[in-house]
Amino acid sequence: MSRSKNANGVSVRIKDESSLLSSKDKTGPEQLSDEILVARITRGDSSALEALYDRHASTVLGVLLKVIGDRALAEDVLQETFWRVWKSASTYESERGPFTGWLFRIARNLAIDAHRRTNVRPQILVTENDVDALADRAPDPDTDVPEQAQVDFRNQQVRAALASLPRVQRQVIELAYFYGMTRQEISKATGEALGTIHTRARLGLQKLREELDREEFEG
Amino acid sequence: MEPREIEELLPFYALDALTDEERELVETYLREHPEARQQLDEMGKAVSALPYGAAPVEPAARTKEALMARVAVDPRSRALKQEQAPRPREMRWINIFQAFGLGAATVAILWAVVLNIQLSQMKNQVALLNEALVAQSNALQEINARLAQTPVAETVTISLKGTDIQPQAQGQLIADPNKNSAVLVIDGLDQLEPGKTYQVWLIDGGEPISAGLLSLDSNGQAVLIVTSELTIGEFNALGISVEPEGGSQQPTGDIVVLSDL
Repeated sequence: MSRSKNANGVSVRIKDESSLLSSKDKTGPEQLSDEILVARITRGDSSALEALYDRHASTVLGVLLKVIGDRALAEDVLQETFWRVWKSASTYESERGPFTGWLFRIARNLAIDAHRRTNVRPQILVTENDVDALADRAPDPDTDVPEQAQVDFRNQQVRAALASLPRVQRQVIELAYFYGMTRQEISKATGEALGTIHTRARLGLQKLREELDREEFEG
Repeated sequence: MEPREIEELLPFYALDALTDEERELVETYLREHPEARQQLDEMGKAVSALPYGAAPVEPAARTKEALMARVAVDPRSRALKQEQAPRPREMRWINIFQAFGLGAATVAILWAVVLNIQLSQMKNQVALLNEALVAQSNALQEINARLAQTPVAETVTISLKGTDIQPQAQGQLIADPNKNSAVLVIDGLDQLEPGKTYQVWLIDGGEPISAGLLSLDSNGQAVLIVTSELTIGEFNALGISVEPEGGSQQPTGDIVVLSDL
């Protein structure tokens, strides 16, 4: 086992899954779990990275585009995200959560950095419409959205669950998660008291969890 | 900070939206109050679903191509190929000797047997390698024969060289002069201080046109898909300069690579 800090400062570790990593294993990469593919990447198996990319790139790009808002820059950050996966795979610790959590954290942090480099963040009180526009920003109109039939069931479940939240709760959650805004920044941007922001975040996450449970969501 | 106040931070801890100081406070609290961990785990499950709330977007094919090109030149990819070569078997024989605790005479006899087996195996491997070599040679001859019958490809490879500022830098631009995109592979560039970036420029006699920013890996290598409204053949030169993070409208810093196209 190895332990170290990854590029995002997260201390992670990966189990020895040597029995699953044998080069004699005839199972195709596309049939293996994310965690086994990451373990294969630690041995320099580029086909494992390709399989992970094919599996998750469209979801990651959706997140990046939501945060960054610029298609070309989002594609660059997507490439950088999977490059980090390639370079830092040995720092992923499967015991601390699924690979997707680690992947999305890398993508989100890179996206927030890119967003901060290219945008002036709300420093003063802005209108509610401005904040809504940031939280609800739709993808680039040129976005190549997959056919409806191909849209993953999980995306529909989560979007439905998010849509069921009161707007002000969803707003706080999205500003914090997708844009990395602190509770103080959200309070300042929305003009709401800090206590109100705390309550909205807590109730919003609680309701989101309940809705996902009701829909039997499996991440 | 009161425990109640710290518990109010838990949603933002789950959302990864706390300051470093607040995060440390929460982590200390969680160590001292393990029962709060369950509350946090519940929130974490909701947070882990959030990425799926964004509409998925199919990436452009060139993004994957650029990523895999970058991976292909990474030393770790090459290391795997070397690792997959057959391993020496001496250790296995040593274990056999220890396990059976044979006397010196027996060891000598066994060793002779082992050497014979190894010699035989090596001969077989050499024979197999020879067969593979012949097969590859035949394949190469076939490819050469086909190439001779095929019209000359439009794709050209242009060597790029560092200026006196970074003479060790070198690379290639692989391009079809009639197309609007090309692949730039560069190696040996110095790592830049924070706040600086390398920017690629295409020059057609007028003002240089930005062709993108380079992201160096730890070995000073970078791959960039260069795209332009004009075809690559319309440009006279390619340059790389050092610019402030985010890039510039026109070159402002040191020109580290400049080559005619």
